Amino acid sequence: MKRIMILFLLLWNVSFSTHAQQKLSLRGKVIDSTGDPITGATLSVEGQDGQTSSRADGTFSLEYQKGDVLLVSSIGYLPFRVVLAGQTTLDVQLQSSSEALDEVVVVGYGTQRRGEVTSSIASVKSEDFTKGAVKDAGQLVQGKVAGLRISTPSGDPGESSQINLRGLNSINGSQNPLVIVDGVPGDLNTVAPEDIESIDVLKDGSAAAIYGTRATAGVILVTTRRNTATENRTTIEYNGYASLQTLFRKPEMMDASDYRRLIAEGVPYDDLGGETNWIDEVTRNPSSHNHNLTLFGGNSRTNFTGSINYRDWQGVLLKSGQERLNIRTNLNHDMFDGKLKTNVQLISRSAKSNNGGSTPYMWRQAIIRNPTDRIYNDEGKWQERDAYFYDNPLGMIHESINDSQFRETRLNGSVDYRPLEGLSLKMLLSRVQNNNLFGGATTFDHVNTTKNNLNGTASRDTRSAVENLMELTANYTKTFEGHKIDVLGGYSWQDDTYEQFYAYNFDFPTDNYTYNKLEAGMALQRGLAEMTSYKENRKLAGFFARVAYNYQEKYMVMASIRREGSSTFGENNKWGSFPAISVGWDIAKEDFMANVTPINQLKLRAGFGVTGTIVSAAYMSQTSYNFDRGQGGYVNGRWVPGFVPTRNFNPDLRWERKHEYNVGLDFSILDNRVYGSLDYYTRRVKDLLYQFNVPSPPYLYPSMMLNSGEMSNSGFEALINVDAFRQGEFKWKTGLTVSTNKNKLINLSNDQFNVTVPFFEAGYTGEPIQIATHRVELGRAVGDFFVLKTVGVDENGKWLVENKEGETIPISESSPDDRQYYGNGIPDVNLGWNNSFSYKNVDFSFNLRGSFGHQILNMTRLYYENPINKAYNVLKTAYDPVYGQTLTNDLVYVSHYIEDADFLKLDNVTLGYTFKPNAIKGIQNLRVYASGFNLMTITGYKGLDPEAASYEGDFTFAPGIEHRDRYPTTRTFTVGLNVTF
Amino acid sequence: MKRIYKSIYSTMLMGVGLCGFVSFNACTNLDEEVFSEVLEKDFAPTERDLPFIVAPVYASFRNLMFGWQGYFDLQEESADHIITPVRPNGWDDAGTYRRMHQHTWNTIQWQPYNTWQQAYSSITKANMIIMQIEEGTLPLPEDIAASAIAELRAARALAYYLLLDNHGNVPIVTDYRDVDLPDQKTRQEVYDFVVDELKEVIPLLSEDVSAMYGRMNVWAAKALLAKIYLNADVYIGQQRWGEVITETNDIIQSGAFRLDPEYKNIFSHTNDESPEIIFAVPYDEVYGHGNQLHMKTLSPLSRLVYNMAAGPWGGNCAVPQFIDTYDEDDQRLYDSWLQGPQYHAVTGELVITYGKEVPGIGGDGTIAADNAGYRLGKYAIKNGATNNLDNDYPMFRYADILMMKAEALLRTGRSNEAALLVSEVRERAFKLTPEKATVTGADLEKGSTYNYGWQDKDGTVAGQNGGADIEFGRFLDELGWEFAGEARRRQDIIRFGVFQTKSWFNHRPHARAQSRTLFPIPNDERNKNPKLDQNPGYDD
Repeated sequence: MKRIMILFLLLWNVSFSTHAQQKLSLRGKVIDSTGDPITGATLSVEGQDGQTSSRADGTFSLEYQKGDVLLVSSIGYLPFRVVLAGQTTLDVQLQSSSEALDEVVVVGYGTQRRGEVTSSIASVKSEDFTKGAVKDAGQLVQGKVAGLRISTPSGDPGESSQINLRGLNSINGSQNPLVIVDGVPGDLNTVAPEDIESIDVLKDGSAAAIYGTRATAGVILVTTRRNTATENRTTIEYNGYASLQTLFRKPEMMDASDYRRLIAEGVPYDDLGGETNWIDEVTRNPSSHNHNLTLFGGNSRTNFTGSINYRDWQGVLLKSGQERLNIRTNLNHDMFDGKLKTNVQLISRSAKSNNGGSTPYMWRQAIIRNPTDRIYNDEGKWQERDAYFYDNPLGMIHESINDSQFRETRLNGSVDYRPLEGLSLKMLLSRVQNNNLFGGATTFDHVNTTKNNLNGTASRDTRSAVENLMELTANYTKTFEGHKIDVLGGYSWQDDTYEQFYAYNFDFPTDNYTYNKLEAGMALQRGLAEMTSYKENRKLAGFFARVAYNYQEKYMVMASIRREGSSTFGENNKWGSFPAISVGWDIAKEDFMANVTPINQLKLRAGFGVTGTIVSAAYMSQTSYNFDRGQGGYVNGRWVPGFVPTRNFNPDLRWERKHEYNVGLDFSILDNRVYGSLDYYTRRVKDLLYQFNVPSPPYLYPSMMLNSGEMSNSGFEALINVDAFRQGEFKWKTGLTVSTNKNKLINLSNDQFNVTVPFFEAGYTGEPIQIATHRVELGRAVGDFFVLKTVGVDENGKWLVENKEGETIPISESSPDDRQYYGNGIPDVNLGWNNSFSYKNVDFSFNLRGSFGHQILNMTRLYYENPINKAYNVLKTAYDPVYGQTLTNDLVYVSHYIEDADFLKLDNVTLGYTFKPNAIKGIQNLRVYASGFNLMTITGYKGLDPEAASYEGDFTFAPGIEHRDRYPTTRTFTVGLNVTF
Repeated sequence: MKRIYKSIYSTMLMGVGLCGFVSFNACTNLDEEVFSEVLEKDFAPTERDLPFIVAPVYASFRNLMFGWQGYFDLQEESADHIITPVRPNGWDDAGTYRRMHQHTWNTIQWQPYNTWQQAYSSITKANMIIMQIEEGTLPLPEDIAASAIAELRAARALAYYLLLDNHGNVPIVTDYRDVDLPDQKTRQEVYDFVVDELKEVIPLLSEDVSAMYGRMNVWAAKALLAKIYLNADVYIGQQRWGEVITETNDIIQSGAFRLDPEYKNIFSHTNDESPEIIFAVPYDEVYGHGNQLHMKTLSPLSRLVYNMAAGPWGGNCAVPQFIDTYDEDDQRLYDSWLQGPQYHAVTGELVITYGKEVPGIGGDGTIAADNAGYRLGKYAIKNGATNNLDNDYPMFRYADILMMKAEALLRTGRSNEAALLVSEVRERAFKLTPEKATVTGADLEKGSTYNYGWQDKDGTVAGQNGGADIEFGRFLDELGWEFAGEARRRQDIIRFGVFQTKSWFNHRPHARAQSRTLFPIPNDERNKNPKLDQNPGYDD
């Protein structure tokens, strides 16, 4: 502050010494507190149109009249204001503001300064992103947003990371946050990670409610990189890396020598004379590469950003991988002195994979296959055997064709008309078109033919979607005497159409066609081919409004409402209203705190908001029928399809509604050296859409989609950043995120039926065990395992379990009624600890992530740590005594295989070196780095990877299963290069 | 401020225009466009559509009878012919087959619930169509309407019969529009309802045999009525032997059916041509999926024997004690059960040899080898079979009519008349040794030759209580030999008291054996409809 005061006094003196009314020119330099130049600072003279920016060396020049007020601003610095008194030179030293206080946060349909925000919003800028071979936008912020659980349960290059915000909030609706890319709905893969400027997460209801019915699982706002320079600029950036992957961990199966040793001991295994390590045979250490080129160009009125991202990632399983090309162009143009701003963006992406037969089921075959068997038989063909569900994994890989192509074009444009200062009228139009095309085939050497006589199979599957969006918004901002008011109104229309076609045939005269001549298969003539087609359309219309007001960023209030309607609901329930309100009070700005200098910010926040969840499929509220072959019959001497109601009709279907309260504290202390947020939320979803069991009779089908449940989630989230060393040559920035979540299913009932469903079961072990793994019961949390609890093994090697009375009984005397709750698959606490260091030209960062307070069903042990079945290979540990005995029990789902899965993972380590600017002529910036992913895990869990449990799809209500059939996770090592020309 | 309003207004106006352009609709029109379903308002059915509308009533039986854990399993695995032991490739399935075998099923057991669901599915669809015809939404000429309603009521009675037999005390719903929670009826009330319905509709039903194949005609209804009377003592504690004789005589005297000279033909993949079948549930490899009995019974290796286009799952097989009851000259032993060496369809090499012995049901670590136990081969598997067979399920056939009549005669002291009918049925099974075909009334009054008792792992039968004490046990044996694998054994051995009293294989009589003659009311249905009480003997 001292410096500013001096500067101000200096200027004040000058103003009295000059008395001229003519235009004066002013030259100067904008510098930061260390004296370094600030590029791109905005300079404007109050009352005059137009503005200018500081040049690369910080210098500027402009004209003014005496008495004019000069405003200087730049992101990351406190705004500077001075009355010009006739001077011709001026050096402006800007005080850096705390990033936490001053950074711009993207909120729905606009931005706010961090200091103004009253709801729970996390914002991660590109400099804080995870570095290295990042799969998608999710991985960029993994462990960096409290309450956002991001996991990567699969090593498949084509699979996205899985993401969940603040627990499970729906049963049949989407659990995935709404991802908005530059204002248009998309997904985590819409743009390449290198193309992202910032990721903002609207966590609580009061923030997300402006997105109404799609926002219950939170909203992730992705902002792409744009040319924000206001004067001529041409920059080319190249980022490239190459990486190598290895299996994170291999299951230790018995090898051929183990087999032979056991055979010698009299164990009836088959020695087939060979020696094959099947896991080694089906895996590889693949290399991948990634190239990204970004161009920025243009001038103060017209500029563009273009980027090309190409990547070719190979998977650790043979033949698997994905090749991807993303192209993005973004064009901005200003007209009429900045009153009309237009923007056009085109994103084209395509992804291709030719995976062969590297499926999760193939992985199972590699695990269970006899290690004394051979890959090829004497004729050089795949050595197959005749056991049930037992196929040569290499045959599967090489004799299957699984080609998929994805193409997407996203075109959006906006016109922003600013007739008055503070008023913006904006129209956004967008069209997203994409299609998926699959081709699958099996050759004559595939078991489909060698075992099942199908003579080659082939299929094609194509899906296409068109999403049209129009949004009209009017935004008015006015600042006066410390008051700031921001009013937003808008309308949104979304129209999505989805179509699908599939055909399958077999019995081909040759396998040369693969899937390219389906009509050649004879199964079509025999009536055994398959064909389906489908089309649906959904519309979503919304009106929304928001008012935000603050007084000196001391008292803040924001209120919003969205009225939204969807075509998927019944006639009388199409529309719903989703209001929100939040308030904030920055105590640090009160006079009585003025002397408490260590506290820079102490903002209390409280918010309430309502969001909705849409029914997951189209047509659910329709009264309609279908012709169905499965419901057909033999009538009057011929087979006809049956005409049946498609469902138990429920034209009263309506929105799921989530009510959420959030209280929080944003703080910044010790000269903004320590800052962060604390949040507590409690949310309750009412009218849960649930496939409710209804009595049959009298209903035709035993269940129907009803609004019939209630679920709650609550939790605590903390984000603490410390700029431990921020000046000098050594810098260290560290951030910690902690989040907890507690889930409870409160009710599953419906007025119409006057009954309460006490529980539902979820999860599935698969053959030969065939029982549900989880139970979701009223009053309990989603994710509870429900299982026979083992307490010992008797002298015959059979399990002893606890019955419902708590007595120990042999498992043969137990019944399904003796199952009990045992652990939960969803972590109680998630932790992220991110560190970045720099010393001179060297930068170093590492991230630790952990999850605690949860259990995982280790399916690899459940199926393969039991020696009973000699037809399949087992883990080396299968013959280890359990409770002092060797197991002779059938495979059963028991608590023995449910393990504590607390873990702490060294997730990402990056070491980089930045060369001096222009060290090589023409190269402004050059950095090289090496990084590693998923490097080390500290855990007591005995499976392959405690993070390899899926939380989506079939596992939404059966979380915490490390499945036996899956794509194994990997460890990745990367070297890369960033160059700016 | 006026400028602001004006600007907003003009932009909005522009937007509304665009909105119409984008969607060809007003900005708030959210009517759902439906492409892949037929809206009720868009469908005006006529007589021409009747087959499509009626078919689903029968489809439920197809999905049920020979489908996964369907009626076949419910009737056979709880009885003394068929077991599904644990195999090297699985079939423990959390003990579900063991519970069926040992009668330890609980109120959440799937197989009985499956029957409940499919039966009520058929009933509700029938109710819906009857309503549509009566209300005129499905407009039909008067005579067609009358016969359609009669047929639907008969089909509905068939579904209620399954419930009467298996669950006993069930709700009766006949009005599609009434969605109030229905009351539970006693087994007596259900019996009365089914009998009255059938009696009422029989005069209105078609007598056509070929056009009504797979549907309820007058003969199917009479066969069903005879079947219900046959079991009346079990259902309501009253004997109706006279009625059995009356109904079976009607069918016999009609001349519409006769014994198929070839036993195998009644179950072949062209068995719709058999003159013996009165009511069948039709299956088809292409159109009418659901017959997957071969998939469950065959070893995966057997695909080579039949050159199959699918890999079978290798599960159920015959109880060795039952196989021991057959006369080795009885052709039905070979026509019903796959046994001994099986040869490759093309090369003729030995593929697998099915042995009779099975060490145990499993659950104690016992695993039955892939080739253990005789497999169900009655529904002949054609060369190149897929995972769906063409063979229809003959639910009521002429031999059954003769045997029902014979049983009624036998139980009313006319054993010699009964023996004539039984001999007639046996004839085709002993073509090479015709002298063995003939049985006498005295034979039929003997006990059973089934060596009832617990089977140890080595195949010896311990704790024997044999079959000699079973009244008319020999007649029960005759039913077993003739109708093995026809999804009915449970009903027969309940009627003869065996189900409740005897041990076989790894089954001992349940502590509350009598209560096991009815399956429980499914727990899920009781949760949904609190008016339903559990059947006696099932806790909770």
